[in-house]
Amino acid sequence: MELFAQVAPKTFWNAPNSSTELLVKIFIGLAIGVALFFGLMAAPTQVRKPVLFTTTFVSGLFYVVFWLFPQPINRQPDDAPRNAMEGFSFWISDSQAVIADVTNIVAAFLIGLGIYSLLKVHAGRLVKQQKDWGFSAVLLVSMLAMVIFGYGDFIMRLDPANSKMAGSGYVGWTFWQFGKDLLFNGLLQNMDAAMFSIVAFYILSAAYRAFRARSIEATILLVTALIVMLSLMGLIEFYWGSSVDGLHLSNNFKLTNIAAWLGKNIQTPALRGIDFGVGIGLMAMGLRIWLSLEKTGGTS
Amino acid sequence: MGLQYHDNGWIGIVITLAMVAMILLNIFRAHGTGDLYIRRIAGLNSIDEAVGRATEMGRPVMMVPGISAPVNAKTMQAINIFAYVTRVCARFANPILVCCNDATVLTVCQEVIRDVYQQEGLQDLYDVDSVRFISDRQFAFAGGVAGLILREKAAATFLMGEWYAESLILAETANSVGAIQVASSTEVTQTPFFIAACDYVLIGDEFYAASAFLTRQPVLVGSLIGQDWCKLAIIGIVIVGVISNSIQLMGGSHHTVTQRWNEGKFEGLPKPSPFNAGDTTFSRWLNPDPAKDTKIERPKLPPDEMPQKSAGGGQ
Repeated sequence: MELFAQVAPKTFWNAPNSSTELLVKIFIGLAIGVALFFGLMAAPTQVRKPVLFTTTFVSGLFYVVFWLFPQPINRQPDDAPRNAMEGFSFWISDSQAVIADVTNIVAAFLIGLGIYSLLKVHAGRLVKQQKDWGFSAVLLVSMLAMVIFGYGDFIMRLDPANSKMAGSGYVGWTFWQFGKDLLFNGLLQNMDAAMFSIVAFYILSAAYRAFRARSIEATILLVTALIVMLSLMGLIEFYWGSSVDGLHLSNNFKLTNIAAWLGKNIQTPALRGIDFGVGIGLMAMGLRIWLSLEKTGGTS
Repeated sequence: MGLQYHDNGWIGIVITLAMVAMILLNIFRAHGTGDLYIRRIAGLNSIDEAVGRATEMGRPVMMVPGISAPVNAKTMQAINIFAYVTRVCARFANPILVCCNDATVLTVCQEVIRDVYQQEGLQDLYDVDSVRFISDRQFAFAGGVAGLILREKAAATFLMGEWYAESLILAETANSVGAIQVASSTEVTQTPFFIAACDYVLIGDEFYAASAFLTRQPVLVGSLIGQDWCKLAIIGIVIVGVISNSIQLMGGSHHTVTQRWNEGKFEGLPKPSPFNAGDTTFSRWLNPDPAKDTKIERPKLPPDEMPQKSAGGGQ
């Protein structure tokens, strides 16, 4: 039975196309997943906690080992390991993509929970005719339409006979493709772009409040922003630049040079400092989660 | 020798492990020490003020844990802070709204918020719909949350976690309804927007210090002190690097080199080349060679283990 095409060299995590080994591995994966799911559901809290701690630790440990264990240098797809150490190194490298996929699969299952949350809130509001129920109706109709047209289009494109649909110029398109295109490219993408464009106006209103010279800090901010903004205005920069052009020293007072100096010597070091702090904080947080030292939300 | 240890790659690993050791050491130290001092963080002091104001106005407190997907350490930190905010809200019987961009974040938020209400003995006040999934598309999420802020007239908003272009849309919308705002972004590009639009902002690692400040758990306080040790170590490395590079770069354009570091060793140059910042010892230590030209002779896999194009496979 042709289940999948083998696209990568054989590793611990895959098997040749149509082989018994492939079926056995799929079965083992499913069995472990189902056992874990129902086992955790049935387990009492005092058992569940150590299981979660162990799972968190083992999952984190994989990435620690992946990072610390010597990785193969310039490995080619058809390379075989030279010794046991390199064999383990290859195994870890091959496993990383699979472990990352496990995260994606779990996240994909949880999308159902997100949809349930949306349906519960908005269907309830629609049925009870609560305040702003019209918005909920629009959301539910939009969601349903996108699911129907998206799925219809997806199914048709799976058929190799419809491969010409992928090309440009609407060749071979049917009601489903036009419907999905209208909903996705015609409406959703444009609404996304409209939301993004609003940011420009919000920047203006936020900048107006931030740059009012009410304190020494706000005044420094105002002057700095003014220099940077003026340095980006071609006409002003041209006349200012012409007026200070000439002496080697006065070239430093060209608006572009002042703005570049501010960016390189004031802004960048400050951002680097913040970045260091955030990076170390993130590392400490990750460490606490990995070792289950963090008691999330559980302490008063 | 592995790829990450090639040339001077081991230096980065040693520095990281040393920082991990400093954090762990201080976590264990904090268990034995009494009350350790943490400086005041204005943004966190304002939480009680914001919730109090929301209670007086009878309007909800809105919390948004950024747009990370799936849940990660940044989201967990935001949720930790929200657990504290929820606890204060629960004590005042103040309604809350938590908006999630991702289903994994929704699940964790629901668990944590429900736990907080249970710990306070106020399960009856917990509304399952107070933690909502909005959308996993960035601007659909921004539009949805902005709409909720306007319709529910949130009295206080807490925007914390990983933010991108939607940060200002939410902050300005909340500002337009007069909400008191406490915000924090782990992205430095968004912090200025929050500073411009919000009342209080946790900058950089203050975000990660927040749970230690709020709960005073020894683990968190110790971790915070460990982070400070790490920062001191980095400051030390920067100072040593500045001095070392300055000394080596003295002489300007007259200073030339006849050999350059490549693949873990010095190689002669056809003609003298100007000595630049990349030639300094410190730069060499911190920028290991990527081993692009290193060739390793290995045996090859048997053909039956490679994908067969005839079976529809192959790259």
